[in-house]
Amino acid sequence: MEEYIISLEDLKKLADNLIKEGTDLFLPSPDNSRFVRLKKADELKLAPEARPSDISAKQAAFPKCDPVLFYKRDKSTVELKDAEPSANQVLFGLKPCDAAAFGIMNKVFNWDYKDNFFNKRLENTLVIGLACTYSDDYCFCTSVGLSPVSETGSDIFLVRLSDAQFAARAVTDKGIQFVKKYSQLFAKGDSSKSKPALESIKGPARKFDSKKVKDWLDKNFETDFFNPVGDTCLGCGQCAFVCPTCHCFDIVDEDYSYSEGRRMKNWDACQFSLFTLHASGHNPRDNQAKRYRQRVNHKFKYYIDRFKEILCTGCGRCSRGCPVTIDIGSIVTKIGNLT
Amino acid sequence: MENIYKPYLMEIKEIIDETVDTRTLRLQFRSEEDKKRFSFKAGQFAEYSVFGEGECTFCIASPPTRMDFIECSFKQVGKVTNALRRLNVGDTIGFRGPYGNWFPVEEMKGKNIVFIAGGIGLAPVRSVILNVLDRRKEFKDITIIYGARSVGDLVYKRELREWQGMSDVRTVVTVDPGGETPDWKGEIGFVPTIVEKAAPKSDNAVSIICGPPIMIKFTLPVMMKLGFKEENIITTLENRMKCGLGKCGRCNIGNIYVCKDGPVFSYSQLKVLPQEY
Amino acid sequence: MADIISIARGVFENKKADILIGYTKATSEGRTRPVIVRSADEVQNLVLNSSCLNNLATYLTRKENKGKKVAIVAKGCDIKSIVQLIAESQIKRENVYIIGVKCNGVKRSFEGEDSKKIAEKCLNCNVRTPHLADETVDMSDEGLTGKDEKAELIEKLDSMSAEERFAFWEEQFEKCIKCYACRQACPLCYCERCIADKSMPRWVESSPTKRGNFAWNIVRAFHLSGRCIGCNECERVCPAGIPLSLLNRKMVMVAKSEFGYESGMSADAPTLIGTYDLKDKEEFIK
Ligand SMILES: Cc1cc2nc3c(=O)[nH]c(=O)nc-3n(C[C@H](O)[C@H](O)[C@H](O)COP(=O)(O)OP(=O)(O)OC[C@H]3O[C@@H](n4cnc5c(N)ncnc54)[C@H](O)[C@@H]3O)c2cc1C
Ligand code: SF4
Ligand code: SF4
Ligand code: SF4
Ligand code: SF4
Ligand code: SF4
Ligand code: FES
Repeated sequence: MEEYIISLEDLKKLADNLIKEGTDLFLPSPDNSRFVRLKKADELKLAPEARPSDISAKQAAFPKCDPVLFYKRDKSTVELKDAEPSANQVLFGLKPCDAAAFGIMNKVFNWDYKDNFFNKRLENTLVIGLACTYSDDYCFCTSVGLSPVSETGSDIFLVRLSDAQFAARAVTDKGIQFVKKYSQLFAKGDSSKSKPALESIKGPARKFDSKKVKDWLDKNFETDFFNPVGDTCLGCGQCAFVCPTCHCFDIVDEDYSYSEGRRMKNWDACQFSLFTLHASGHNPRDNQAKRYRQRVNHKFKYYIDRFKEILCTGCGRCSRGCPVTIDIGSIVTKIGNLT
Repeated sequence: MENIYKPYLMEIKEIIDETVDTRTLRLQFRSEEDKKRFSFKAGQFAEYSVFGEGECTFCIASPPTRMDFIECSFKQVGKVTNALRRLNVGDTIGFRGPYGNWFPVEEMKGKNIVFIAGGIGLAPVRSVILNVLDRRKEFKDITIIYGARSVGDLVYKRELREWQGMSDVRTVVTVDPGGETPDWKGEIGFVPTIVEKAAPKSDNAVSIICGPPIMIKFTLPVMMKLGFKEENIITTLENRMKCGLGKCGRCNIGNIYVCKDGPVFSYSQLKVLPQEY
Repeated sequence: MADIISIARGVFENKKADILIGYTKATSEGRTRPVIVRSADEVQNLVLNSSCLNNLATYLTRKENKGKKVAIVAKGCDIKSIVQLIAESQIKRENVYIIGVKCNGVKRSFEGEDSKKIAEKCLNCNVRTPHLADETVDMSDEGLTGKDEKAELIEKLDSMSAEERFAFWEEQFEKCIKCYACRQACPLCYCERCIADKSMPRWVESSPTKRGNFAWNIVRAFHLSGRCIGCNECERVCPAGIPLSLLNRKMVMVAKSEFGYESGMSADAPTLIGTYDLKDKEEFIK
């Protein structure tokens, strides 16, 4: 793999070029709550030591609200117009647990019918990943096949060498093309530069065997294991909405004038009690324990059955942000120890 | 860019009121091209939409052997079904589909077929009944057992009468005890009881059962008693759906996408699914 | 004075309640989380300290806890919400066994800089000693300190022009992702079907767009005016970091200054929103 060296100053120059070309740049907000557009290049900051932003970067390909078509009613006729997903974007400084999520979601958005809203956005996105030096009690990337230094999902992967200098690896073709295009900013480097930095990264303390978790889930659908979680889970959408891999959505129409409006995909979550409620009042998942069971099973069993991937990158967001600190990492660790 | 969420536009050609809260729409594609392109199989469903209100899921109630119109029958229960009721002949609705799997009509050739339906559950069954009747010679004995809460709740009354008049179809119509009118000539009793009484033969037979969960629950043991094999009892599920495309996650039962792997399931398939329907 | 574990044991041994809602350690040091215990054998992991941020009263109106006799660990502000729930006829006094916490204030947040500061609500707290309780327990931790930054912000917002204020909230609400964590954590958001979930008609647009977010956050603030007791759980749990207390506190201030009403103080006094008075003022509406 090609490795380069780029200084923070040159990264800012790169950002400046991109902004001038009309590319949208996104990076974690100063309070680290979410991804925001970078307006001025000299505000570019890369913080491998920061915790994962409270809300993931999935919006880049799967926005919280994604128009799919526009309609115009006129008496008894209707005119439809396609929605077109947005222009080019670059995501700066994604943690491996954010970057890897796009490939995981890609499976469900393309296994049969192709969701081109997701696809087009992803196609127009360049992901600049960043080796992560943070970890806390809620992280567990290394138990779901990733690590703080995994390049999966990144087109270019950065490793901080010093406050002012980064190693940059061109991971994908897209990344290689990108580096070529801005080659005056990237100096030739080699892996000896990034190696010590990468080796010093220890990663999260939490470890569990995801195969054992699946083994237990395979055999224990009917269980009272989730009852204590159901006791305190509030049934909000926080865990799903901040999660980089959750992809449930609702389809909703909204008028914006008397005769015009749009249809859109809005984030939805299996923890909401109305998610599965039928008109008759029958609800297949009629309590919070069953809804949390769905969450864990979908992530650590169903998605693997279906798409051979764990629907979780171990970022710990759902747990850190949970109003009642329900910690998926410790829950699946417990499950892993049951077999 | 191909947009899987973009519906066809359909014109409402005719409105038929089945009961006080259930209505059938006869729809025609606004575009000739769409009409030519479109094909489906009995048992499949679609997303119907009123622009500005949203989408909802109904099965296609007409058979693939009658392509002049697409028909759906719906019960007024919520936002979109209410809005649909406000529409008139000539109005436009959106239609996405067909989605999901279908009844195994080809595999049913040469067999005896027993249709059992309750309430609006007759809608998906009607598609396959008409499909089979249009190809009558390819199938052996046909039994239709249909029940509703009351005489007023029976849907497709015209067709029920038609089927009752056919010499090569056995049609039994029943209403729940207390739901009869003074001049009611059909059966009185819950569907499972009437099935037991009618005792359709199970050899070389396939059965299609659709209706409220409670009806299905009590009909299944009767079917087993009559000797039907689990794999020859076929039903449809009605988990909530949004996309119909295996994306939105709404319809999941375990690792199954009801909108893709279903909605048609045999009882033997259902038995191994988690109890989440 | 008895600690929370022995008090909880006593609750079960003396059959004072069927279940007890309290706090237990969370995964990381410095955090706690809610827990429901059902017998004296389960009480040993209960904790009580300045990391007990949650307002557990939100569980009192849950379907599965209704009709049960529930013991609950409650700080003064949490007790305010219990009082308000009683006043609004959502729970019965005799069905809650209140273990009131003599409180020194809690942390502003579990982690980071804010974990070293006292929560803003605690700075002007008038219920550090429980105003309604069946027994009390000391919170062992030392008092924290900090500044009321929100009070300054509220003043600043008050001095803004309507346009500036609108711009401020526009920027804040744009962030909302419609996760409804605020509603789910709120002890007084107990409606069986929230207006935001009603679709016929759809009063509040469900989309997390500018319009839908404004509708949601304004409606929620309205529905809590004269009712919010200031536990600030909504703001604490909001993953988007929207300063919801600016709205709710302002509402509390108006209720107090214009109507002399403070929610959560008396279970017997008529509620502000539930009473019509010919003398009710209108001129504060701008
Ligand atoms: C494969 C399939 C085929 C169906 N075929 C028919 C049919 O032929 N005729 C018919 O009348 N109905 C059918 N249904 C049910 C129908 O989809 C719902 O009744 C309809 O979507 C309600 O839409 P609404 O906007 O009016 O209700 P909403 O306003 O969205 O909701 C009103 C109430 O209905 C519930 N609800 C929403 N969607 C469903 C659903 N899919 N199933 C059950 N309850 C739901 C909501 O939780 C709410 O309580 C079918 C459902 C499925 C999944
Ligand atoms: S686990 Fe936490 S974040 Fe998720 S629904 Fe429950 S309370 Fe909300
Ligand atoms: S489930 Fe939790 S830990 Fe896993 S990817 Fe989602 S937010 Fe991260
Ligand atoms: S965990 Fe729940 S919200 Fe997340 S993708 Fe799975 S079903 Fe959807
Ligand atoms: S507001 Fe008062 S009772 Fe509540 S936590 Fe703060 S000091 Fe304690
Ligand atoms: S918690 Fe915050 S993001 Fe979630 S709905 Fe409430 S205001 Fe919006
Ligand atoms: S209806 Fe969306 S996945 Fe099945």
